[in-house]
Amino acid sequence: MSITKSFSAESSVESRPLAFVSAGAVSIPWTIWFTIVGVIATMTGSVLDLSWHMSIGRDEFWTPGHTTMGVGGAMAGLAGLYEILATTRAGAFRGRDASARILGAHGPGGAFLVAWGGTAMLASSPFDDWWHNAYGLDLNFITPPHMLLTLGYFAIMIGAMVWLAGMIDRSREGLRERVVWLFLIVSGVSLLFMPLLNFTTRRSMHTAACYLAVALVIPSLMIATGRGSRHKWGCTIVAAVYMGIVLTSVWLLPLFPAQPKIGPVYQNVTHMIPGQFPLLLIVPGFIADLLLRRLESRSSWIKAVVVGPAFVLGLLAVQWPFADFLMSPASRNWIFGTGYLPYYFDLARYDPYQFKALEKTTGAFVLTMAAALVASILTTRFGLAWGDWMRKVRR
Amino acid sequence: MTCMRNPLKILLLLVAVLLPGTASAHVGSADIYFEGNAGPYPLFVTVRLPQVVPGVAELQVRSGSPDVHTIKVVLLRLTGPGSNLPSTPDVAQRSKQDPQFFVSDLWFLEYGALQARIEADGSKGKAELSVPIASFPRQAPTMSPWLRGLGLFVLIGLTLGVVPVAGGMARECTVPPGEAPQASHRRYGRIVMAVTLIATAGILYGNKALWNEEAAVYDRNVDLLKPRRVEATLQDGNRLVLRLASPLLLPLAGKGREAVEMKMEEVIPDHGHLMHLFLVGMPGMGRVWHLHPERLQGGAFAKTLPSMPAGQYQIFADIVDKNGFPWTLVGDVKLPQITGTAVAGDDSQWEGSGMSPPFSEATVAQLPDGGRVVWERGGGPLKANVPTSFKFRVEEQDGSPARDLEPYMGMAAHMVVVRSDLSVFAHVHTNGSVPMAALDLAQAGLAAGSSAGTSGAAPAMAHHHHAALPPRFSIPYGVSLPGDYRFFIQIKRSGRVQTAAFDTHVQ
Repeated sequence: MSITKSFSAESSVESRPLAFVSAGAVSIPWTIWFTIVGVIATMTGSVLDLSWHMSIGRDEFWTPGHTTMGVGGAMAGLAGLYEILATTRAGAFRGRDASARILGAHGPGGAFLVAWGGTAMLASSPFDDWWHNAYGLDLNFITPPHMLLTLGYFAIMIGAMVWLAGMIDRSREGLRERVVWLFLIVSGVSLLFMPLLNFTTRRSMHTAACYLAVALVIPSLMIATGRGSRHKWGCTIVAAVYMGIVLTSVWLLPLFPAQPKIGPVYQNVTHMIPGQFPLLLIVPGFIADLLLRRLESRSSWIKAVVVGPAFVLGLLAVQWPFADFLMSPASRNWIFGTGYLPYYFDLARYDPYQFKALEKTTGAFVLTMAAALVASILTTRFGLAWGDWMRKVRR
Repeated sequence: MTCMRNPLKILLLLVAVLLPGTASAHVGSADIYFEGNAGPYPLFVTVRLPQVVPGVAELQVRSGSPDVHTIKVVLLRLTGPGSNLPSTPDVAQRSKQDPQFFVSDLWFLEYGALQARIEADGSKGKAELSVPIASFPRQAPTMSPWLRGLGLFVLIGLTLGVVPVAGGMARECTVPPGEAPQASHRRYGRIVMAVTLIATAGILYGNKALWNEEAAVYDRNVDLLKPRRVEATLQDGNRLVLRLASPLLLPLAGKGREAVEMKMEEVIPDHGHLMHLFLVGMPGMGRVWHLHPERLQGGAFAKTLPSMPAGQYQIFADIVDKNGFPWTLVGDVKLPQITGTAVAGDDSQWEGSGMSPPFSEATVAQLPDGGRVVWERGGGPLKANVPTSFKFRVEEQDGSPARDLEPYMGMAAHMVVVRSDLSVFAHVHTNGSVPMAALDLAQAGLAAGSSAGTSGAAPAMAHHHHAALPPRFSIPYGVSLPGDYRFFIQIKRSGRVQTAAFDTHVQ
């Protein structure tokens, strides 16, 4: 697959004036690598943390997951901070001409957000610990400290994307391809952390609320990153990265033995419990890429009106029947992982293989679905604007 | 129940266990004190429950025999799902100074009827013991001043930081290298700053609302698990009817406002009776009745009262729900002169003088039949939160040991502890502060799920049905709060239930 073909001619380094060429990127600085490793470490830590909660229980703050997340956040935050300090002090040697000036300091625009995100992540730690000790249970994800943690992590990822977007534009051939792939990887990771809450669990997949939740948050990020990457299959690759990470966790985590450390125990857990099978986002991602190419010359609103609903309906077409399969005993194997239940899951409370019915009437279902379609138009439009902005990022 | 008979062991217990706490699942008394046998090993178990749940409880085990070298503990539900799959056991820390003393930290995440399953390993092999625990939150979590200050600092810093960062990125990032931002860039930057500010304010507001809701749910849970109000009415001149003022709801920790209603129809018998009703004459606690109402259709309880003088009475009513969680219902009632029959069966009454400090701290209390109960309390003052083996002996009128003690509702003795301001009420036995109904459930689970030798405390009661009990008995307990207390000791002699009262000050 050739990436360079999908780049517009205006982004070639040779066509730039001298001042820009002098600020051109010739290699990927270690601070970006540090940031990317931080992003991946944080992602790994959070996947591990989730599994730890489900398999072992949060018996102390410094679990491997929490530690990895903390290290990842600190790595990215420090890398961003170092880049800013170095650029501010070193001047043109570090491409000051191609830097953003914020609060009197110089640096790649994205590095500022990365530094802020790292600070926010670390700042959330003592409050997260307090919250767990105060209100517990570790099953609650939606808490103010978790919000700050997620916001910080998200800031790191958005900052990294903006930082990379600036490099894509200033990179020579060859280097540019690598930067694009880094951009797509960070984008795929970010998809894991979209606030879908409990609306996209397996039990919710036959509710309209599931598709409304997806419509409200996924297109904006997937379209923005797919488009911002300048890769012709950007949305598809972002979705594939997301699915690949989740599938890897579903397949690898159960290979590690584990036993609950906190009682009461409701399920006989003998190994790490992974999260659920990923949403089939690669299908709407592929549809979005196809349609965006066909509609390239049309206005953003036309693109949004077509791509948004197609995205939701494309997901609906595959996820709805797939959910039936995920509920069936045939999926309770290592490939689909629906037989894994966390140690705290009390079967007396509800059947994990029965769909929820959030909408009580057909009318409510239709209305919620209509809201999902409308929302998808708006979020796709936002994603297009954001993606186009990232295509213009120069510093 | 035998490990405390040796005075040296009692002394060791009193000296070794000095950490503060409170006591049983009654009123103002949450911690667990329990004496039982894990197979051949007599154990005194104290569970210091956390004030805030989720939280860490401290489980202390004092072995009565020196050959126990390892104690392991797991937390389970008392019944149903979650009652038979163990987590990784917590290996209790053995004291270096006192090798018969072990301490384990246990995370409590849930409310309701739980059990600590204790495995003792020693020279006679492994054996198990289960201790029922009522888990509930008692107070809302608080944040230390330094953490609060840090929170404010972080909040202001991050909020003030993200606005210019977002605005700056919007203003600068798309400016070609080497050029200065144009007016349009600056305008865009200002717009993004404004939007970020509004979004940040929205996030902060949303989080505040989320926090407020979480705190409100927690406060509600604390309230739901406080002693519940019971309303008492008198019918037909001598029939006392008790109804719950509101349903018994057991909230589910971490599940928002979800709660499970405990039906009065599903209350289980606790040493032979569905309800143990204590009517305490106020003021002064000069009279007390221990009665056993019957359940009516619809969940109310009723009791035809014996003869009682008119007056104000405080109500404490102990019940145990189907899961083994003990509830104490509280209320008060003003009664006219009741003309009824004398107390009979397991019902009992006591009349004496009211509490009036300073107390004599008398250690001898007369029984109605001329005998007496002697409290072998030692010389030191009684201290709050100290696990104590309250030792008593029953004597005949001539001072000789009583030889006619019988089990009273299956036990050698019952002790009712009431603080002068009624803020503490506990109904404890020779096994300690756990309800017998919950203990039966724990023992049944242990017998069903374990191959290890076990005995617990229940067998200690059973054999007493056919032989006179020894005149000495001990009751493991720890008074939760300093203050003035009246202890009512109830025993049965020659078919007659008798009560002795002791007044004391607890430091």
